[in-house]
Amino acid sequence: MRFSHVIGLFSAAAMSAALVGNAAAQSKTVKIGGIFPMSGNAASIGVHVKHAFDVALDIINNPHPELGNFPLAKNGGLAGLGGAKVEIVYADNQGSPATGQNQALRLITEEKVVALTGAYQSGITLTASAIAEKYNIPFVNGESVAPNLTERGFKWFFRVTPIATDFARVYYEFLNDMKAAGAKTDNIAILHDNTEYGASVANTLTTAFKEKGIAVALDVAYATNATDVQSQVLQLKEKKPDVVIAISYTSDAILFAKTMQALDYKPPMLLADDSGYSDPSFIKAVGKISQGVFNRSSWSVGPAGSPTAIIAKMYKDKSGDDMDDTVARQMQALFVLCEAIDRAGSTEPAKIQAALKATDLKPDQIMMGYKGVKFDDKGQNILASGLIIQLQDGENYVSVWPKASAEKTPIMPYKGW
Amino acid sequence: MRRTLWLLIALALVVAYPLVFTTPFQQRLGALVLLYAIAASAWNIVGGYAGQISVGHVVFFGCGAYAAMGAYTHFALSPLVGIPAGIVFAVLIAAVIGRPTLRLSGHYFSMATIAVAELARLIVTNTEYLGAAVGLSGPTVARNVFDLSFISALPYYYLFLAVLIITLAITWWMTRSRMGFYLRAIKDSERAARSLGAPASRIKLYAYMLSAGLTSVAGALYAMMFGFVDPESGLGILISVKILIMAALGGAGLLFGPFVGAAILVPLEEISNSLLGGKGAGLTFVVYGAIIVLIARFQPGGILALINRLWAKRRAKPMDESIAQEAGHAS
Repeated sequence: MRFSHVIGLFSAAAMSAALVGNAAAQSKTVKIGGIFPMSGNAASIGVHVKHAFDVALDIINNPHPELGNFPLAKNGGLAGLGGAKVEIVYADNQGSPATGQNQALRLITEEKVVALTGAYQSGITLTASAIAEKYNIPFVNGESVAPNLTERGFKWFFRVTPIATDFARVYYEFLNDMKAAGAKTDNIAILHDNTEYGASVANTLTTAFKEKGIAVALDVAYATNATDVQSQVLQLKEKKPDVVIAISYTSDAILFAKTMQALDYKPPMLLADDSGYSDPSFIKAVGKISQGVFNRSSWSVGPAGSPTAIIAKMYKDKSGDDMDDTVARQMQALFVLCEAIDRAGSTEPAKIQAALKATDLKPDQIMMGYKGVKFDDKGQNILASGLIIQLQDGENYVSVWPKASAEKTPIMPYKGW
Repeated sequence: MRRTLWLLIALALVVAYPLVFTTPFQQRLGALVLLYAIAASAWNIVGGYAGQISVGHVVFFGCGAYAAMGAYTHFALSPLVGIPAGIVFAVLIAAVIGRPTLRLSGHYFSMATIAVAELARLIVTNTEYLGAAVGLSGPTVARNVFDLSFISALPYYYLFLAVLIITLAITWWMTRSRMGFYLRAIKDSERAARSLGAPASRIKLYAYMLSAGLTSVAGALYAMMFGFVDPESGLGILISVKILIMAALGGAGLLFGPFVGAAILVPLEEISNSLLGGKGAGLTFVVYGAIIVLIARFQPGGILALINRLWAKRRAKPMDESIAQEAGHAS
């Protein structure tokens, strides 16, 4: 029976790997663990986040005076730690909650990272952050939106991204402002598919609107990957709602745009919920016949010369792709974490945790369109919010609301084609 | 006699492993090896001994995982309570799907089990009570020791070891019983076994149910350790494949084959992912896959069969009877 030798061999391999890792660590670097999907069906996320983090590390570790007030940009390294450089140790979660948790443990105990970020898929963020909680290591998440993540009573988990209830607030406030500007917004219809995503967002919106005293007059559901949506469009055409909120994946969103043109139906206001309507292939396919559609996002490039525009350009040069909402939110989480480490002036997890709790970033100190970053007791960013963007004059979304971050004024009513 | 001695030495080494390799990652690695060894050994009963290649075993794994997390989520009970419930579900499901599908032979049985597994995944994805697409999670902060939510992997290691020993003991007992002889006869030639009066359908069903129950225990232990299950991680077809590959690689139809397979593949996967995963997309799987291909090409009977054969060659004396028997089976 030689299998015990085999175990020994592999354990020795694991140990030597750990030793090599330690030898490479320098006293002047701050190691942060990044757990992302680098293989499996979400592998492209890992590729993009690496480019984004390279850009972020460039900004943090090298002087970038052109970014002005943006935290950590002015000088090289973390000033609070005597100019220490930040390094990311990546791990592949392989799209599996188990692997994500194993890798979190490895990063904490073998690589000695001082904090973690990741892990994209909500289920993996859940298991990976559970290990961080047990080892008292801060975990800053930028992109997982499952509500239960911040309902676990964790003390080491911080989430920067807005979640469905925040989006509901964005829609509500946007519609209120539009109403004040003279648009009719009393009669709302929600159009959604019957997937987990479509049903849960529609449900959250309906509940949130009800609390504010607005009843959703019409709820139109359809089966995703539909081949025909004429009856849904005719239903909307007949009821004439003032606002149609559309929650759809890409192929359905394209079908709706085409069907609406074929049946000559234009709602006064069409408000989309990210996903399908943000997909570049949606804009390519039907952008020209969807002019004036409103959409939500937390990322906007901003005016030329602004920090966000500079960051967007750095990212495009690095990756060849335009910055999208997801990768921007992940990048923002890394900035929030590094800013806290800098302010803590220490790599001690407890001090970083205290600094994260005291985080109070203003809108001009962040790259996302949030109202700032400030965590509640559960670790949720209470200032997380979104922007409303609109497809105007061609094939690009421009931010139109709130006023503070608007590039253009919203155009009403929906123009279509 | 000599075999017992080697067994004791191996056992001592396995017991001592986490005391020698003390970093949390190494201990966790050890626990994972044992966990997958349980699942692969359970599969071995029906896949190895009875020769019925089930590719849908993840259904039973999922039963255990969901029962454990469900006991916590819906009844605020210790996930341990879910274990018997998971076994009951798994055995019932095995009985229901085993009756018609075990009549199918060869590839058709494998295909039927895949269909059942995928069906289960889709049903659970759309079942609100089972957490739908979001999944169910366990106690994140342990309320008491029965929540089995430990920081160290050490308690898991010894718990899994105990369950593995029980699983192997049941398997061993089965191979020595009348059922074991029937199974071997069925594996060699089902038609011949039937013509000699072996109740083939019934025996295969029993093996399937026994295997299902033990697999569900592995699923429950998995969910307790990771504190979470969703349709992909609890019912994804890849888990079935992983279990199957471990058993086949170590030596299907041999008592310790699945353990050897797990002891090779789990560290290989975790370590290659640790060393390569962060660098390039998918490089881990290239290395992992290449090794599987090499073993399948040069040693299709499994690593343990190879070891047994080399062992037999080295000794000029006649082989120990049981080893000879096992080696003969695998080749």
